[in-house]
Amino acid sequence: MDATTGIVTIVILLLAFVVSVLSTVAVRARRLPIILRQHPAYGSLSQWTSEALEADRPMHFSFGGASLGATTPLTLANAETFTLLADRATYGIQTPLMTMSDSATLPLGYDVLRRAYRRRGRVDEFQLGAVQWYPDGARSLAFAAALTGIAADRRVSSHLLLGSYGSEVALILDAAARRGQKTIAASDQLEGQAVAFGMSDAPLIGEEMFAGPAYLGGGASQVGSVVALDILRISLILVLGALTLYQLFTSGSLNALLEGAR
Amino acid sequence: MRRLFGLLATVITIGVGLVMVLDLTGVLSLAVPTLTSGLIAATFLRLALMTLALMISAGLFNLVIAHGGRIRRLERGWVYSLVLLLSAGSVIAFWLLGREDANQFLLDNVQVAVESSLAALTLFALVYGAYRLLHRRPTWWGALFIVSLVIVLLGALPLGEVSVLAPLRDWFLSVPVSAGARGLLLGIALATVVTGMRILLGQERSYRE
Repeated sequence: MDATTGIVTIVILLLAFVVSVLSTVAVRARRLPIILRQHPAYGSLSQWTSEALEADRPMHFSFGGASLGATTPLTLANAETFTLLADRATYGIQTPLMTMSDSATLPLGYDVLRRAYRRRGRVDEFQLGAVQWYPDGARSLAFAAALTGIAADRRVSSHLLLGSYGSEVALILDAAARRGQKTIAASDQLEGQAVAFGMSDAPLIGEEMFAGPAYLGGGASQVGSVVALDILRISLILVLGALTLYQLFTSGSLNALLEGAR
Repeated sequence: MRRLFGLLATVITIGVGLVMVLDLTGVLSLAVPTLTSGLIAATFLRLALMTLALMISAGLFNLVIAHGGRIRRLERGWVYSLVLLLSAGSVIAFWLLGREDANQFLLDNVQVAVESSLAALTLFALVYGAYRLLHRRPTWWGALFIVSLVIVLLGALPLGEVSVLAPLRDWFLSVPVSAGARGLLLGIALATVVTGMRILLGQERSYRE
């Protein structure tokens, strides 16, 4: 990493650090809770969990190709979302199904479900086979095919596909739609995100994937991270706008444009 | 005791994370001039890669546990589990026997063929998905999505100079699509940084309990 990149990285990290800390402190200090804007995907999750429990059918959580390597923060944020949902889903008899295509995420998947059962005091009812790994990679058609089969065999009620998917997620979403299973999907890959937007019942877009813990948990640190993200996003937009205007005025493009108009 | 382990995990995570950040940004080598920049980060990354490679064996173990259980209980679709385990077993057996040609044959004639068929099926799934989008969620955003899709697809037809949509498609891909894609990626990058900060601050729940 050269010196300029290093300095820019340090500035961004420091800014993110300060904003994250201040946001969490501000959220904790407020007497009234922060009301997050309505989101159809997170709004429908509680209902879907209840429906799964009533129908005695499992929910399906999937990391896709997200791993504890290149996409660690994404995987951990999604693991927290799955944990909060698994807490509710483990009231029922059916163990939720957890799948992934990266073997490094396997212990995390086990941990998410086992922790939910431990909190209910029913750890002995946790089934090892509820967490399933299918190889391989972020664009595995074999993974998608396996998921369509397993979701049918286990009569899954709804799918929550958060992580890393390519266009192969279309196979899973199509099979789910044909069987009347509800779906929420989002991906950090552009192709997967486009397919998820078009085909899932309630899509999440980009960074909305990271907001799950704030919507489902509502803890100060979780809401604080969403507030920090909003502040950083607005700051980034302002910086980009300012840089564009600066470039427009200093490069002479504006003068050339105006002269052309005359 | 569990709380103590949670605390230990938090301390290790924060410690390793901080050292990595300081080393990768060059701050650590400024503080300790004798230290080569990036050395500690490279060592940690190598350790992580070795651990990840070992996790493949955990994956295989999971495959046997999950599908062995299905076969034992004769659950719905147990035959597929049996085929999966037999396939995995035969590939490993061929590798142990040094029969790489047999594995290559299976890869070329089974795996590639099946994945090609699935790739073709993906196209139909996508077309049906586009139809469902308009049928089920008739919103302005959905309509915009479909119109954009149609323009891009029609513009990609090999009609040469005759196609009016080709320049429109090029503009579409280079301006709004490119801007949207960058916006999405920037949003994900920002969220990644904020989540990374939560991990460094010990607010992440995954390893605290």
